[in-house]
Amino acid sequence: MTGLLLRLYPRPWRIRYGAELEELLVASSGGRVSWRDGLDVAAGAFRERLRAAGLAGDPPPAERTRGGALLVLCAWALFVVGGVGVQKFSEHWQGAMPNGGHGVPFDAFDVLIGGAAVGSALVVAGVVAALPALLRFLRDGGWPLVRPHLVAASVLTVCAGAGVAGLALWAHGLTGPQRNGSDAAYTAVAVLVALLLAACVLAWTAAAVACGRRLHLTHGTLRLEAMLAVGVVAAMAAMTAATAVWWAALARSADPAFFGGSAVAPQLLVATLLMLAATLSGALGARQAVRGALAA
Amino acid sequence: MTTRPNDPPVLILTSLASGPKHGYALQKDIEAFAGTSLGPGTLYGAISRLEERGLIEPAGEAGRRRPYRITAAGEEALAETLAELRTIVDEGTARLAGARPSLAGGAA
Repeated sequence: MTGLLLRLYPRPWRIRYGAELEELLVASSGGRVSWRDGLDVAAGAFRERLRAAGLAGDPPPAERTRGGALLVLCAWALFVVGGVGVQKFSEHWQGAMPNGGHGVPFDAFDVLIGGAAVGSALVVAGVVAALPALLRFLRDGGWPLVRPHLVAASVLTVCAGAGVAGLALWAHGLTGPQRNGSDAAYTAVAVLVALLLAACVLAWTAAAVACGRRLHLTHGTLRLEAMLAVGVVAAMAAMTAATAVWWAALARSADPAFFGGSAVAPQLLVATLLMLAATLSGALGARQAVRGALAA
Repeated sequence: MTTRPNDPPVLILTSLASGPKHGYALQKDIEAFAGTSLGPGTLYGAISRLEERGLIEPAGEAGRRRPYRITAAGEEALAETLAELRTIVDEGTARLAGARPSLAGGAA
């Protein structure tokens, strides 16, 4: 139990204080850690993780900006997972509308699509801005430090790609209702592939964070990353609001059969909550990034 | 440093003012003089922060029971914090005496 708790701390902290903290835990609890001490240690580990990421305490401005920008990147990954849920749910929604191709839900959906394009472009711009530093880092012998992350993400990508291709071939021979839930085996595999895709997004994000934490970025690049982070969060906020408006308008005027009963569709609810959580986390990261950039 | 008397850094510096101690001894001493129990994560979070700021330092070899001692900068920081706390205590006592003389007299 104590070993598990200690693993929650960042490695450098664990190397410095781990043995002492373990001794304290053993001495104060007689080998059986109480839930209260366990929670206290877990909270302490979380604080140290935030500090190590430049998101708490009083880190140098550059680290604050880097940590904030990387938090926005993680938030974007979470947002994408939620957004894919909304996208899947919204397939063919226009057919459930009585008034053709105009009105509030259509405008809100356009904002959603536009926000996705703008947000993606800004994230790609952030990655491109960091590319020269990444190449320098790899040239100077950094590859072994990030190899496990990049290899894991690549393997997951290959598996997800194979899964999507297999699913597409399978779907080709099925009817519409079979593709949408009446074939239990297909549905189960589709859920597995969706989970694989989500794992793929998260693995590439983890790889990007592992690289981003080690890059030597100039003040100019960090300032640019902070600005891009603000733009990404603005896009996320617009998309979350647009999703809520689209959902509300759809619930009011769409054919009830589209929701299959209640307008509070669990899949849509979970996806929207993920998007909201990602937007709030991203806002925290963007604030840190801007504070760091202004202080530099 | 903050001026709240129950802040872990204030409690740790106060404890170390009477001599070096390791984590467990610190925890017990603080419990005895302040009546508050610092959890292991809170205690070591504060220790690492104080060491980072040069207010305490290891007093012996690295090991599972490494003692810490207060540095000169730590003594200075603690003295400043206690002076601030004293100002609040004095001010509070004076105001209380003005508002409810019997209560303040009893407290004194």
